Amino acid sequence: MIQKKICLLGAFSVGKTSLIQRYINSLFSDRYHTTVGVKVDKKMVDVDGQALMLMIWDIAGEDAFTSIKPAYLRGMSACIVVIDGTRRNSFDVALSVHEMVRQQLGEIPVVFALNKADLKGEWTLGEEQLRTLAQLGQPMLETSARLGQGVNEMFMALARRLC
Amino acid sequence: MKCSWPWRAVCADGVRQAAFCICSDHSNNHADYAGSNRDNDKTTQENTLLMTTLLEQTCASLDMVVFTHTGADRFRPESVLPEWMLGLLGTPHETDGYDLVDAFPFLSCFMDEARSQWQQALSYPVRSGSWIETDLFGREVPLEASALFVNGCEVLILQQLGEKYRAEVTLLQHVRDGLLNQEFLEAEVRKRTGEIRQREEDIALKLISLTSFRDQETGAHVRRIGLYAAAMARALDWSETEVDNIRIAAPMHDIGKIGIPDNILLKPGALNEDEFAIIKQHARIGAEMLSGTDIPVLEMAAGIAWCHHERWDGSGYPRGLAGEQIPVAARITTIVDIYDALIHERVYKRAFDEAEAVAIMRGLSGKNLDPGLLKVFLYLLPVMRRIKDEVREEDEGLQSLALDTGVR
Repeated sequence: MIQKKICLLGAFSVGKTSLIQRYINSLFSDRYHTTVGVKVDKKMVDVDGQALMLMIWDIAGEDAFTSIKPAYLRGMSACIVVIDGTRRNSFDVALSVHEMVRQQLGEIPVVFALNKADLKGEWTLGEEQLRTLAQLGQPMLETSARLGQGVNEMFMALARRLC
Repeated sequence: MKCSWPWRAVCADGVRQAAFCICSDHSNNHADYAGSNRDNDKTTQENTLLMTTLLEQTCASLDMVVFTHTGADRFRPESVLPEWMLGLLGTPHETDGYDLVDAFPFLSCFMDEARSQWQQALSYPVRSGSWIETDLFGREVPLEASALFVNGCEVLILQQLGEKYRAEVTLLQHVRDGLLNQEFLEAEVRKRTGEIRQREEDIALKLISLTSFRDQETGAHVRRIGLYAAAMARALDWSETEVDNIRIAAPMHDIGKIGIPDNILLKPGALNEDEFAIIKQHARIGAEMLSGTDIPVLEMAAGIAWCHHERWDGSGYPRGLAGEQIPVAARITTIVDIYDALIHERVYKRAFDEAEAVAIMRGLSGKNLDPGLLKVFLYLLPVMRRIKDEVREEDEGLQSLALDTGVR
């Protein structure tokens, strides 16, 4: 069976763990529990009749004191860069994380998850930021771990690009 | 790599020695090695047992398991597997050891570092960083791996971090909650500041609209002046606030014309000396109108109004300032005001094309205009052209100075 490593990357508290929880266990918690280190989950998916094991790496978010260890990205086939639409700072972190991925692994499939779509009224991302993301040539998807919006679609879209 | 047993451990009294290796390959050899001295045989076995027990107890106390690398990704436990590890590994002990990378996929990103450590026979540990596994009961078990080379053995230690991890999480959670709070407060300050600046801008627009009733200048002209000046300020690496300030302040440079009588201000022909002396007063009047507040944008506007007819060579008015005595915001405004006046038609002149305008401005360099700033302006000509094309007389309307031209 094919196994692929997918990493969720981005600033702290953007909802990486929540997206995985929603995808793997269909659960959501409102409380913010910071992730320290790495947690690896597995999910088997069927892509047009082909079984694919997704190894989903939840990597602790970046902040002023914590940065992603490059070794964690070793063997990564694709990644989801998560942005909290309500926090402008998470957009800047996403750009630097994406650049780091490109430098380390070259052009691999990437999806930008514009998370917290349920709070869209509070989003601070404007047209300019969305244009900047679009220019990177990778798909963007609005997601909400709370509502489950766009979560399965995002993982499946990425899985299809890996098959 | 072959194990280089024996590892000699000196006992507490410093006299007797025991042969000991953590690698289980040698568990039956110790006695033979020590067998050269039959009298010490029993003591050696006792010491070996003592050391083994000591290792077991140490590992148990530190919640760690010692493995030796037996090839490929297989590892053999050299200490008793505690309950938590059995819960994670799930399967019973296999004779050729466990495939730990298969059991713990996280280790796949650590094995390169571990192998490097073993190949270099480094006896200090390299650590993987923490990761989380979930046991059979759904409990999260925080772990960390360390790789080191001990006495010829490739050793991998897995430690359950337990309280240490939880303390780290608590600390980080506290820090991140603080950072989130700080981000929220900063966003709120930005929002409120934006509201205040919008109000300042609205007031500025109202003031500018007063002068537009009096002279020939159009709303589009004053908008362009603000945008040209902001583009210059950005190129000069001014702060966001200062760029915003000049965008609002530069259009107010002629606000003092409100104090000039109509018969002079709107006179179609040439002005005589006395009339020109009166018109020159608009710089002082504008400065007086705008000064006397603590509002930075109005202070800048006052400086611009007072000095925008000063010349680099000191031949300007009202005070005859020269060079850097003239505030830089005013020097910028002078350049962009001349440029816009040249390339647009007025009742007294035709519109010059860009090349003609640039030639005229080059001729003013070092006389009317700051030569350094003029160079910056000429470098930005494509940006200026775009502003000129996008803010046209026919589209005029003083709704907003905050036109999104992409030059901000």
